[in-house]
Amino acid sequence: MDSNSHGNLDEQISQLMQCKPLSEQEVRGLCDKAKEILMEESNVQPVKSPVTICGDIHGQFHDLAELFRIGGKCPDTNYLFMGDYVDRGYYSVETVTLLVALKVRYRQRITILRGNHESRQITQVYGFYDECLRKYGSANVWKIFTDLFDYFPLTALVESEIFCLHGGLSPSIETLDNIRNFDRVQEVPHEGPMCDLLWSDPDDRCGWGISPRGAGYTFGQDISEQFNHTNNLKLIARAHQLVMEGYNWGHDQKVVTIFSAPNYCYRCGNMASILEVDDCKGHTFIQFEPAPRRGEPDVTRRTPDYFL
Amino acid sequence: MEVEIDEKDLKAAGAEAFFDGGRRGVRIHGWLIETRRNSILNSSTIQQWEQKLETSHLPEMVFGENTLVLKHLTSGTKIHFNAFDALSGWKQEALPPVEVPAAAKWKFRCKPSEQVILDYDYTFTTPYCGSGTIEIDKDLNGREVSEETRNLKWEDCKEQIDVAALSSKEPILFYDEVVLYEDELADNGVSLLTVKVRVMPSSWFLLLRFWLRVDGVLIRLRETRMHCVFGGSTNPIILRESCWRESTFQDLSAKGHPFDSAVYNDDPSIISQRLPIIMQKTQKLVIPS
Repeated sequence: MDSNSHGNLDEQISQLMQCKPLSEQEVRGLCDKAKEILMEESNVQPVKSPVTICGDIHGQFHDLAELFRIGGKCPDTNYLFMGDYVDRGYYSVETVTLLVALKVRYRQRITILRGNHESRQITQVYGFYDECLRKYGSANVWKIFTDLFDYFPLTALVESEIFCLHGGLSPSIETLDNIRNFDRVQEVPHEGPMCDLLWSDPDDRCGWGISPRGAGYTFGQDISEQFNHTNNLKLIARAHQLVMEGYNWGHDQKVVTIFSAPNYCYRCGNMASILEVDDCKGHTFIQFEPAPRRGEPDVTRRTPDYFL
Repeated sequence: MEVEIDEKDLKAAGAEAFFDGGRRGVRIHGWLIETRRNSILNSSTIQQWEQKLETSHLPEMVFGENTLVLKHLTSGTKIHFNAFDALSGWKQEALPPVEVPAAAKWKFRCKPSEQVILDYDYTFTTPYCGSGTIEIDKDLNGREVSEETRNLKWEDCKEQIDVAALSSKEPILFYDEVVLYEDELADNGVSLLTVKVRVMPSSWFLLLRFWLRVDGVLIRLRETRMHCVFGGSTNPIILRESCWRESTFQDLSAKGHPFDSAVYNDDPSIISQRLPIIMQKTQKLVIPS
């Protein structure tokens, strides 16, 4: 990349840092470059320490900005995001554009995995599609991004010992090589190992739990222990579930849930957290609260209405 | 419709508003009406609740300290709303699980010996229509000590809530809405229990609403309304109307309504009319002297 295009990109990043979206044409150009970079990455993308591991963001742009203030700017700090950049919050467009721009600018410094919300189907129900329509007047930007999401890696492996992914384990996957072998470039399927990686949850009950919804697995401590043992892992770091403290250990510290959207949906009052893995592979959780903000509706106190 | 609460209206109605951190409310005609709100439960409280409710699954957002309380001071009658009692109702009703559309395509890939079927009602559907007690300060040997608590006696009745009176735009002296619990059903829809209240110079009115949307499968709305007109010297009467509505997406679509979950993200009040009523009852409570 020549210095001029870096210049443009740096300008775009600083515009995005002010929560101002790019034009449709700029988004298209950016996603074209991102696609080339992401298609080179592995289904189990190797990542070196030090790195800061983050969970769900869900369009809470100002809290992502706060995360960078607390964790350090990219590229001064290396980042690994475990998906769910869009939906629910008010600024999915700005959030996902910024992360993709950082990926294009600093490909070795930031890893962006796919979450279950990085999908065509889910974003049509939970906000990203509507936000694109509102901000761009058409679904083109939504189409560009959801096409790009198909290329996001599914999992990452920090220093061969921390396995990072959005959801959790799958009964169809015993080894990391199983994951390396499948073709991820597709919409998240309704069923199968790729779906499990983005959707499953740890549970207190041992074995594979079949969700009462009739679709989806939970995995017990015995499953986590076996998987970590088989693959020489110390820890599974995952996101996907809201936790009041921003992080939550499970399965005798074989699994940790990290959630990085403070005061989720602008009313849960939860803390957010990020996990810093240092040069010596030491772990530190940093918790943070929502950034003070202006101009967002205060959904905790509604205006009186004559409901019946 | 948006309204501002006016100090003059409060004064004219003989009401007094208060605000104290997470607590806010109003004192009016012998009633103390207040809401409290806080964040979702932390991990250790979740564990305690799971033990007490004998479950290992709670909604992902339980606002355990959020509450609406309406207390009639002279009689000690207290009507209140909280997530714990609502979840006790869920545990007791224990509806069978509803399968999501993806279930049809789901293949079970693990060994049966390693498999556990989780069969709790993940929609957290509850028959809850509020909690109530009468608290009387007992005078034991000259000392006011313990509280005796009795349950409220609701009776079936023919009277109905006066919707016309509630439609008049008299000033709102106090308004609030609190969420008791919410779950996103792992992105298969929403389950939401909220209660909102408005207090006017002539009455108070509240709506407890359980709203469930299982995408592509089911919409369920269970509402309880209570209305109490401030009387002069007579004992106050509270009317309580419960109305349960429910429909599958299939039935909605057969009636010409859209089969698209995004459409049903809207205000349940608007969707409510499309849903057939499956249970309705009206009861009253005469507040003892």
